[in-house]
Amino acid sequence: MASIAGAPSVPSEKILRSPGYWATVWRRFRRDPVAVGAGLMIVAIVMIAILAPYIAPQDPYKGMTLRRLKPPGTEGFPLGTDELGRDMLSRLIYGARISLFMGVTPVFIALFIGSAIGIVAGYAGGWLNTVLMRTIDVFFAFPSVLLAIALSGALGAGIMNGLISLTVVFVPPIARVAESVTTGIRNRDFVDAARASGAGALTIIRKHVLGNVLGPIFVYAMSLIAVSMILASGLSFLGLGVKPPEPEWGLMLNTLRTAIYTQPLLCALPGLMIFITSISFNLLTDGMRSAMDMKA
Amino acid sequence: MNSAAAISPILAIAGLTVTFTGGSSPVRAVDGVDLALGRGEVLALLGESGSGKSVTLRTILNLHDPRRARIDGKVTAAGTDVLALEGRSLAAFRGKVASMVFQEPMLALDPVYTVGEQIVEAVLRHETVTRSAARGRALELFERVRIPSAERRLEAYPHEMSGGMRQRAMIALALASRPQILLADEPTTALDATVQVQILLLLRELQRELGLSVIFVTHDIGVAVEVADRIAVMYAGRIVEQGPVRDVIRKPRHPYTIGLLATRAHGGRLIGQRLPAIPGSPPDLANMPKGCAFAPRCKLRSDACDAARPEIVKVTPAHHVRCIHTERTVGL
Amino acid sequence: MLTAAEIREWDGGEPARGAPLLEVKGLVKHFPIKKGLFGGARGVVRAVDDITFDVVPGETLGIVGESGCGKSTTARLIMDLIRPDRGTIRLGGRAAGTPELSLKAFRAAVQMVFQDSYASLNPRLTVVESIAFGPTVHAISRREAVQRARGLLTRVGLEPARFAGRYPHELSGGQRQRVNIARALALQPKLLILDEAVSALDKSVEAQVLNLLLDLKDEFGLTYIFISHDLEVVRFMASRVLVMYLGRIAEIGPTEALYTASRHPYTTALLGSMLSMDPDRRTREAPLAGDPPNPINPPPGCRFHTRCRYAENLCSEKEPMLEATGSGHRAACHAVDPLSGHSRARRTRREGA
Repeated sequence: MASIAGAPSVPSEKILRSPGYWATVWRRFRRDPVAVGAGLMIVAIVMIAILAPYIAPQDPYKGMTLRRLKPPGTEGFPLGTDELGRDMLSRLIYGARISLFMGVTPVFIALFIGSAIGIVAGYAGGWLNTVLMRTIDVFFAFPSVLLAIALSGALGAGIMNGLISLTVVFVPPIARVAESVTTGIRNRDFVDAARASGAGALTIIRKHVLGNVLGPIFVYAMSLIAVSMILASGLSFLGLGVKPPEPEWGLMLNTLRTAIYTQPLLCALPGLMIFITSISFNLLTDGMRSAMDMKA
Repeated sequence: MNSAAAISPILAIAGLTVTFTGGSSPVRAVDGVDLALGRGEVLALLGESGSGKSVTLRTILNLHDPRRARIDGKVTAAGTDVLALEGRSLAAFRGKVASMVFQEPMLALDPVYTVGEQIVEAVLRHETVTRSAARGRALELFERVRIPSAERRLEAYPHEMSGGMRQRAMIALALASRPQILLADEPTTALDATVQVQILLLLRELQRELGLSVIFVTHDIGVAVEVADRIAVMYAGRIVEQGPVRDVIRKPRHPYTIGLLATRAHGGRLIGQRLPAIPGSPPDLANMPKGCAFAPRCKLRSDACDAARPEIVKVTPAHHVRCIHTERTVGL
Repeated sequence: MLTAAEIREWDGGEPARGAPLLEVKGLVKHFPIKKGLFGGARGVVRAVDDITFDVVPGETLGIVGESGCGKSTTARLIMDLIRPDRGTIRLGGRAAGTPELSLKAFRAAVQMVFQDSYASLNPRLTVVESIAFGPTVHAISRREAVQRARGLLTRVGLEPARFAGRYPHELSGGQRQRVNIARALALQPKLLILDEAVSALDKSVEAQVLNLLLDLKDEFGLTYIFISHDLEVVRFMASRVLVMYLGRIAEIGPTEALYTASRHPYTTALLGSMLSMDPDRRTREAPLAGDPPNPINPPPGCRFHTRCRYAENLCSEKEPMLEATGSGHRAACHAVDPLSGHSRARRTRREGA
């Protein structure tokens, strides 16, 4: 009979069933007012984008030059009209669709590609790591904005091409984060313990590595959504990416810039939307990161 | 020894309670600690993780973040009320009256400055002397802590030194401002055995030469025995036994101290048998029981133990024990 | 080929009784220090430099030494977590990774408990899932693996009803280490390597875990390699002790003989560094000066000669071999080797030893 009492006889009994990892993360997240607020804001923006046809008061494409550049508060046009007489409110609402799309899609595709490269490089180590990561490093030689512009310029304007160039821009940073997180996990004793039990590399990656690295990689990727939105806006602003008459916030900034002296508020509105959306994503990912950090 | 502490202690802690309010529920790391350190005395604060020993030590230099820690009680060092100090007066107090040696020198030394520069800076902060005089003092300190090729080593960066060397540099840094009180927070825990012995002997020697008053925090009884005149044993934020080193080691009266000594002292002689282990594990500091904190693990537990915190029993005038069953612990 | 099942069944009956369970021969591992622009190695860390020893079935072999001695690297080499540069490791007379003994079967037979109890467990898996993982790799059904895991939890003193669904961060250090022990036992190994397994625990918890290890050893007929820097604990746990210094073996022998009559000056110094525990007889002098040197550029000849009080010219020229100095007791030191030419050795012999 064992001579020690392993379990403490202290009366403070803990719960029998502990909540899972994600349940704990959710509970911690819920208690962070800033993160929750940011999350709600993003949900709101997404809803606006989804429900655009139902909530936009006017057709975002129809404009009358007679009504151009009306200030906010005008009868029938709560946020004014743009330089072609189109309703700002409707354009902003529809703009959410494209801007969010251009923000989220490249990051998601890059998440898959970058994670695959990074996790393989991180787990394998050695020459494979060197080959993969140094190739990725080549892309880091270019500042992301310049790279996006160069690629878009080469491919031509248009949403599809904009998506491709943005995806290419985001694969390297995600791959780098994936590699670094995977290397960190790979050197932990529990991976050694798994190797020591005779498991093969694929089993170990699936069972031990993925669960621990996907979280941080995902959170990092989400923080890139804001950057993607701004880059997409920037591309549209420069005439690459989205083409007129599509409503896209960055494009709207471009076309309204001539009105900055006469109707500054109109110009500010698309910029304000970009600002609100990107800062919400940033705060949300900060909150997620804190919630996922168990040791804190 | 204790009479010195009773007459005019250089450091007196009264009713110290430190509660950390960061997490989901407040954690009482230190729970009503009374301590006195006499001039030229070495007191070992002995305890395991979670006992509150490091927290107590850091309170003496008022190192806790006031937003996260609620401190009640009084700490008086060389006549100054430490907890009332702020800003410049606190900076002047730290180093001048009391300074600290930490467990991990790599974390406590600034990696971007040479160790010589860091000592010079410490000297200049508390004395108005020329830079070259400060450097001379740094050299003198390095020689005093027995760092070979001292002149050359002053130019070294922390990461270029070995573990034992770094700890000596850390000690030199702590002594640079000529403190009266030295606070040592497990300075040898991270060191190899052969180096630990060197550092302990060095500390003992320095203490004698400079007449320092020292509080030495450790979890290792052997370390406490080597350096201390008095030992205070902490458990769950409270001091459970306190007295001259010979009394506490040879005639322990608190069941926890007895348990600790039983596992430690005769590891070799018990080959083939089982170690007399203390069952259970330390309590959750956020959920402390109402009575004696050690009771759940104690062989002598009775209902009275759970009812209220035990008062101090003076087994001898210098030897205090917080247990209501001290008459049963004689000769255990 | 010896399967995992056969290793489990094998009870020292074949090979012959008294024959070693594990034989380590000439193990060498150097780690290159990559400083060059294209990863060209500039210097090596000679972590393990030609060590040879056996582990007898049913014993506990203690390995002691200070930082840089290579004991942890040795453990990982035995576990095949790192590939050795040279040398062989044989389990029951068969080399791992050969047709005689598959790597998988070897891994089932030799398991390890690491020092950092938190880092050794996957933070995303519950305790029972972590323990059950190993058996599932060896074609045990998930149901049976979980059952085995729950049984082991009970065996290490953690009630499955309370602990099975917990995550590592919800447990204390001592509890986590029990989980690690259960995990190591899940594959029913013959040899368990404990790499500073109790060093990070509080003393009161350490005693509990040591008692547990002793109980498990008796119950499951295990053999232990117990690596630690704590000489008191090693004396309690080990039947034989191996002392390492800078990647080489300094001394090996039965515990009591080593502790009471050590032959290698380093062992003597190490034992002399143990704290006195007696306030009236405090340590007066540190047996060794300076820090343990760096394994990057070990001193020529005997690696310990730079800190040894008996060092002579011979010691910096020629590296001493492990020579027998008593029954089962060997030390690598010129001063105890009567044929070395060291002045002390000759003196000992003349005194009719």
